[in-house]
Amino acid sequence: MFCPRCDQDEGIKFFEAPKDGSWELYRCQHCDFVWRNTEKEEIRNRHLYPPEFKLNEDQITKMTVKPMIPPLRKPGKQ
Amino acid sequence: MPYKDLRDFLEKLESEGQLLRVQKEVLPEPDIGAAAYAAGQIPSGPAVLFEKIRGYDRKKVVMNVHGSWRNYALMLDLPMDTPLRQLFHELVKKSDRFPVSPKVVDRAPLKEAILTKNINISEVLPVFRVNDYDGGPYLSKAVVVSKDPEDSKNQNLGIYRLQVKDKDRLGIQTSPQHDIAVNLRKAEELNQPLPVAIAVGNDPAITLAAGMPLQYDEDEYEMAGALRGEPAEIIRAETVDLMVPAGAEVVLEGEIVPRKRTIEGPFGEYPGFYSPTMKQAEIKIKAITLRKDPIIFENLYIGKPWSEHDYLIGPMTSVTLYRQLKAMAPEVVSVNAMYCHGYGTIVSTKSRIAGYAKIIAAKLLATPHGLVYPKFIVIVDEDIDPFNLNEVMWALLTRFRPDRDLILIPNAPGSTLDPTGYPRGLVTRMILDATKPVPPDLPLEGLSLLIPPKEAPEWVELLNLMIGK
Repeated sequence: MFCPRCDQDEGIKFFEAPKDGSWELYRCQHCDFVWRNTEKEEIRNRHLYPPEFKLNEDQITKMTVKPMIPPLRKPGKQ
Repeated sequence: MPYKDLRDFLEKLESEGQLLRVQKEVLPEPDIGAAAYAAGQIPSGPAVLFEKIRGYDRKKVVMNVHGSWRNYALMLDLPMDTPLRQLFHELVKKSDRFPVSPKVVDRAPLKEAILTKNINISEVLPVFRVNDYDGGPYLSKAVVVSKDPEDSKNQNLGIYRLQVKDKDRLGIQTSPQHDIAVNLRKAEELNQPLPVAIAVGNDPAITLAAGMPLQYDEDEYEMAGALRGEPAEIIRAETVDLMVPAGAEVVLEGEIVPRKRTIEGPFGEYPGFYSPTMKQAEIKIKAITLRKDPIIFENLYIGKPWSEHDYLIGPMTSVTLYRQLKAMAPEVVSVNAMYCHGYGTIVSTKSRIAGYAKIIAAKLLATPHGLVYPKFIVIVDEDIDPFNLNEVMWALLTRFRPDRDLILIPNAPGSTLDPTGYPRGLVTRMILDATKPVPPDLPLEGLSLLIPPKEAPEWVELLNLMIGK
């Protein structure tokens, strides 16, 4: 399953409607995008997903880290 | 107040016509987000309880619980149409009772079921995408409990956005200005996980207190007690050393994984823009405690103002800033920080000395909230009601002298959610001193303030009687 957002073939089903199976939830193992198969087509179809919200590898590599990971404290220091 | 839990408050709202039940089946997307936005647009908008969510058996979602001044007034046991200015002063009065210690209980409906295996957040809560291009479903109104890893008495409650990424993983936004970010930094310096408990569906006072920008060492449970007028009830979590609200519908227990950042967002945020997609911290959920009855998932619509977010956060931010400023400057009269989470903040004050407004603005910037949020700061005199924008505009147009009363602070810290930040997180702060000059400052030329006719209030009463009010 291709991820509508990052276009990687990393989408997997992780849950379905507990009552009647009327929908399925998917997640992308690459970019953590989550979608339901009953959503608007532009949300679940990678060819229709809005370009301004798509993610490519370059964007993922340069993405802001928030908050920054602090240096490890040296033993004995407060 | 006090309401013992969310259900208790929903009953009150329903009895006053401020809760609507949607009994037809709705789709998680787009129905719930769209209806919640709509409820926030209606003046005096009601809370909306969705009773049938497609695919879920016996789960409910409630939105817009705090989403109108009417709901606020009911929460404070005031007449439904109490004006905002009065709500503000009532909140100040209640919060002045701080601190009221919480009461520890050993039994609560929250413990009717305890899950430690096969954790699945989406099975317990009917999660849904709030705005179309959010990175996934979000818990947008849950109260996150954490502790300072080096001071076990310093517990924190906060509302941080939580992205559902998997059965047991949540992304969390911990911005550097948030108390939980201080907790996390210390844990990560020690390479330790940070235990957290996430309470969903709470007594409305718990949610209000969790959204207040208190000082780092101030306890939100003690503020919830002050707002309620009696202690908040708390109960020990099952798998982490944290105290959680006893009235919650469900509590997710787990830990923030140390030194790990994964893709989070975007998420439609309070400035009315999507946040950038960033690499943020991640929570692993290890246990869930919940009520056996159908779970009511309380969530928040957030987006272009005004939405429930603005109702929820605006007055509480104003009250907190007022109390913090008042402690430093007794001349402060009132604070309105209701625009974009306080990006726009208006303070009314008496002037102790010439130029005093600049000092008040500096004190505002020195509060915890002042670290990043207020960037459009207007200081007005005590005769101006900061909640009345007509009066604020009048003060700006007749008392503000741009050549002397405008201060810009470039390259100051700002919220990463502020779309004007360049780069994100760095903004220019602006202070507008719209107070009248006092000696030795030069007086405004020919100053003679026009006072409305002192007999006018009697005429207001009479004219209202004549039109049948």
